Amino acid sequence: MLDFVSRISVVCFAASYAVALACEASRLLFRSGVRGAVMVGFAAAGLVAHTAFLLWRAASEGAVPLSSPFDWYLLAAWVLAAGSLALTLATPRTPIGLFMLPVVLALIGAATLSSREPFPQTPATQVWGMIHGSLNLAASLAVAAGAIAAVMWLFQAGRLARKQAPKRGFRMPSLERLFETTRHAMTVAAWTAAAGFTSGIILNAVNKQRGLLETVPWTDPVVLRMGMLVSWLIVAAVIARVVKQRPGGARTIVWLSLVSFAVLTGSILWGLFGDTRHGVPPVSPPAINEVAA
Amino acid sequence: MTLAFVGGTHRTVPLPLREQLAFSAEQAAEALARFRDRFPGREGVLLSTCNRVELYAAGESDSAPPPREQLVLFLAECRGIDAGLLAPVLSGESDEAVVRHLFSVAAGLDSMVLGEPQIVAQVKQAWAIAQESRTTGPLTSEMFQAALRTAKRVATETALGRERLSIPSIAVTDFVSGVFERLDDKKVLLIGAGKMARETLRYLREAGARDVTIVNRTIERAQSLAAELRARPTTFDRLVTELAATDLVVSTTGATEPVITADFYRPVEEARGGRPLVILDLAIPRDFDPAIGDRPDVWLYSIDDLGRTCEANRKSREKQMPAAVVIIEEETRRFMGDLHHRWSGPVIEQLRAGWSETGDTELERLFRRLPDLGEAARAEIRQSFQRYAAKMLHLPLTSLRAESHAGPPHGLLDALKRLFDLKE
Repeated sequence: MLDFVSRISVVCFAASYAVALACEASRLLFRSGVRGAVMVGFAAAGLVAHTAFLLWRAASEGAVPLSSPFDWYLLAAWVLAAGSLALTLATPRTPIGLFMLPVVLALIGAATLSSREPFPQTPATQVWGMIHGSLNLAASLAVAAGAIAAVMWLFQAGRLARKQAPKRGFRMPSLERLFETTRHAMTVAAWTAAAGFTSGIILNAVNKQRGLLETVPWTDPVVLRMGMLVSWLIVAAVIARVVKQRPGGARTIVWLSLVSFAVLTGSILWGLFGDTRHGVPPVSPPAINEVAA
Repeated sequence: MTLAFVGGTHRTVPLPLREQLAFSAEQAAEALARFRDRFPGREGVLLSTCNRVELYAAGESDSAPPPREQLVLFLAECRGIDAGLLAPVLSGESDEAVVRHLFSVAAGLDSMVLGEPQIVAQVKQAWAIAQESRTTGPLTSEMFQAALRTAKRVATETALGRERLSIPSIAVTDFVSGVFERLDDKKVLLIGAGKMARETLRYLREAGARDVTIVNRTIERAQSLAAELRARPTTFDRLVTELAATDLVVSTTGATEPVITADFYRPVEEARGGRPLVILDLAIPRDFDPAIGDRPDVWLYSIDDLGRTCEANRKSREKQMPAAVVIIEEETRRFMGDLHHRWSGPVIEQLRAGWSETGDTELERLFRRLPDLGEAARAEIRQSFQRYAAKMLHLPLTSLRAESHAGPPHGLLDALKRLFDLKE
């Protein structure tokens, strides 16, 4: 059994999610009596493999969730995949996977491009590290959830504006529910991102004060991009609050949510390919003989 | 003949005559009690809906169902109509055609609105009345159960009954619920209260709408309508205020010009503060200026917009007809096969009894000759004899069943009777 679990790779669950996504997309093309079961089967199989993979890493490599960029992205993907499966089971006629699974696959893609090197931590900074990672994860998931609901809102609004009846077996949630999801997600994203950024500052200060680990400078690209993201999310939440009561406010909020997602995506790409001292192990002091040389 | 029916539908019977011919539930029960006295030993079920009146009769051998003329006369007497008027407009069928007809009716294939689901409940009710009136029996029982099973198959295996066809149901299910998650916390405003608005309100109530206001030119009319529809009355001079506060408008005035113009709507938009507004403009000519539909947060649907969805759904239903007909044919064949197989029942019983009796006699003789046989050995031998008899009977019984699908297997039954000397 353990041998089987140890052989599960990222490709295994990514492929399962991709098949589930293909099944969801085929709703637009044709009707099928078995598609629902196949789709749920692949999504569930992917989730089981995904869970086993994370547990195996935690057990075999001591890589508890959020302990490296790789694990952070995979945990974010796991939360969204679990949410997608739960919503699919709760509302089978709503093609929720069509909107959520691409984000899941993108996060898995980001994981494969990111470092598996654990974030440096000491017992003294472990708690603040977990708080920092968890809040950033919650903020990112809230932005993603808001954007998914926003895309669905635009899709549904387009159908209603064209005065088209819903396709059979392809029933979207109401505009009211999608709008409320988007709006609440924006608020949650702003609060958690701000708290995550603050916890990062505290973590950095603890490191500096105790001389435990190397501190991240204010000019580090990760600090800059996270600062930008947090600022934007707060501004977006404020704008959303202001325009909510105005004509066309719902559409404005939906677009703000999509822009937030674009900023988050840009921030992730910057993190993947940019140079940073964030989460990097401290540079060891040069050996005496190296200095002498 | 085992099964018979006479009946007429909206296609064959003119409306005034159909109204005279229609039976209420009580009248149907009385008619069936009369049927029981008039045709003892026969089974009968009376199906009466807005669009059809049909009498199904059944019986076997010496209790064969009455001929068409007698059934027409019976219906005419029950409703006090001249039989001469009914005879030309009522059609009649017998045996397999009756089964096919009932299955088509139950599946909604013979309805005015193709695939309408209410007919299943009406068939069930007709069946229940007949049961209470003690005019059902094994034939009608199996036929009506098979009809309901067929209707379920058609509903689940085809998309015949899935798309809605009425404008109010489409408006509420496909469009209003696309905008609002729930209606119990929404305000509904009826401007005028035409037939379409009332039907739409029925669907809205089913979907949870509670807070309903009716606007009318005169307060007296608004008050009487409000009392009838459990709503709050108000007058036209409060229209801007009401529009600003409402979430859903259903408009069916008889005005010849738009009641709500774009200019009229401007202050309403200001006062609404970005809340979505769904407008179902079911009036002809329209009550709302179409330009209002372009305003943000407004979802305006005219009767033409909803009618297009209706038409698309109707075409989609028609495409499902061939698949539904295939199911009807399959089920009719299966039912007739089972019905014909019933004829073989007594012969099969006699065959089995004969083989069993011969086997028992031979076993007794064998056990007398071999008195030392233990109980276990005797049981084993007894089982072997039973298996042998079952295997020998298997082929003739299978042939009988196969023959039943093509019709009553009289030839085979006669052959079996002669070969094995079976009594009638």
